[in-house]
Amino acid sequence: MSIARRRLVFAVIVLVVLLLQVGVAGEMSIGSVKPDIMLVAAICWALFEGPSRGTLFGFWGGLLEDVFTTTVLGVGAFAKTVIGYFAGELKERIVSKSVFWPMLTVFLGTVLHELIKFAAWTVVGLENRPPFSFGIIAGLALYNAVLTLVVYPVLGRFAGVEERVMMF
Amino acid sequence: MLERRNRRQRYLMVTLVIVCVLLVTVYSRESDNGLFHRMQRFFMDVISPLQKGVSKVLSPVRNGVGFLVDLGRARGERDRLREEVKNLEERIHELEEIRRENDALRRMIAVKEEYPELEFLVVDVIGTNPDVWEQTIIIDAGYSDGLREYMAVLSEDGSLVGRIILCTSQSSVVQLITDDSSAVGAKLQRNAEIGVLRGEGGGKVHLELLNLDADVKTGDVVVTSGMGGTCPAGIPIGVITEIGEKQADLSVGIIIEPRANLTRLDKVMVVVSPPPTTVPGVAEGGKNL
Repeated sequence: MSIARRRLVFAVIVLVVLLLQVGVAGEMSIGSVKPDIMLVAAICWALFEGPSRGTLFGFWGGLLEDVFTTTVLGVGAFAKTVIGYFAGELKERIVSKSVFWPMLTVFLGTVLHELIKFAAWTVVGLENRPPFSFGIIAGLALYNAVLTLVVYPVLGRFAGVEERVMMF
Repeated sequence: MLERRNRRQRYLMVTLVIVCVLLVTVYSRESDNGLFHRMQRFFMDVISPLQKGVSKVLSPVRNGVGFLVDLGRARGERDRLREEVKNLEERIHELEEIRRENDALRRMIAVKEEYPELEFLVVDVIGTNPDVWEQTIIIDAGYSDGLREYMAVLSEDGSLVGRIILCTSQSSVVQLITDDSSAVGAKLQRNAEIGVLRGEGGGKVHLELLNLDADVKTGDVVVTSGMGGTCPAGIPIGVITEIGEKQADLSVGIIIEPRANLTRLDKVMVVVSPPPTTVPGVAEGGKNL
């Protein structure tokens, strides 16, 4: 795959995920938990493509999300950049092709992502920040982990690696 | 080579993190009309038609997802509501039963106040006689509760129902005034013309007045005469609904509609005091008076 084509695929995936996040995620909410498709995609992409592309996916995806919301610009980008990088670092360390590891990574990544966001909001002194709830974070992490079952195999088809994803 | 790549990756991450931190810092320091705030609003304006379009395009997907999610919720909600409806229906039945019982007790209290000289025992009706030829009911009290044969039985509104014809230790059989074998001393409330009330077996009773030329009209109220010693005087029985032609034996067929609803008796009142003074005699045709 040429560099230009890979960049195009990358941009299209980020935009499609963005549209899914702003258009569909709200409809998929269970109780007050709305899935973070962008985060799931960033982690999955990082697991396929490594730290650089994981970082870039997290940055652009997070930034675009921030731009289209009324939250503090840059906080989402910051959290997803960090998570994207560390998820990419795991690429070389996870040899299993089972979807279990991505699910676990997404679960832990979601918890970390929310903690980073809350920490950042606290540092910048956001007045109307939502009340901190471990229950919601755990619910979101679980929801995102389940969503990985769909997102991971789909992104695997567009990633540069020539691997078929095994389910469990 | 690998080390260089790793370093480059770290630089990239650190650079982007710094960009993010700068963005956050500038954004949180500037006013609502600052560059980034305006940019955010601008992008939201730009994206909103696109978002609308996407929303429209994705609406079948969204609806599908929403439908599936709602389906799960709806099932849970349906089960919950079914359970709630069931509980509420049970509660309504309970309250309805309590209300009916309350009304009945109020009426019984009124009857007791109306007849201060009488003493009543309120008992439940526990069954009816399965024999089609007998108009009797079974009540939940007997000898052990102080009941005796020939005691008068009234409905909850104080109308005559019948009298006890059989007493066991725990239950008693009450012969209704509509029973074929029933005969009760009665009189017209308006002019005190006396007679005998006899059951016809089909939900009605007829009155045989002693005075064949008595002044009698439909709508006249018939009460017990107190004769015979089994039933206190003045207990309402019913109203005259039909007056027939004079028969060959000069008797007149006077049909009475009983005031008590004899087919729907839940509780009845037995007159325990004063007790029956005489055992009814045998009337013409072998019927008790």
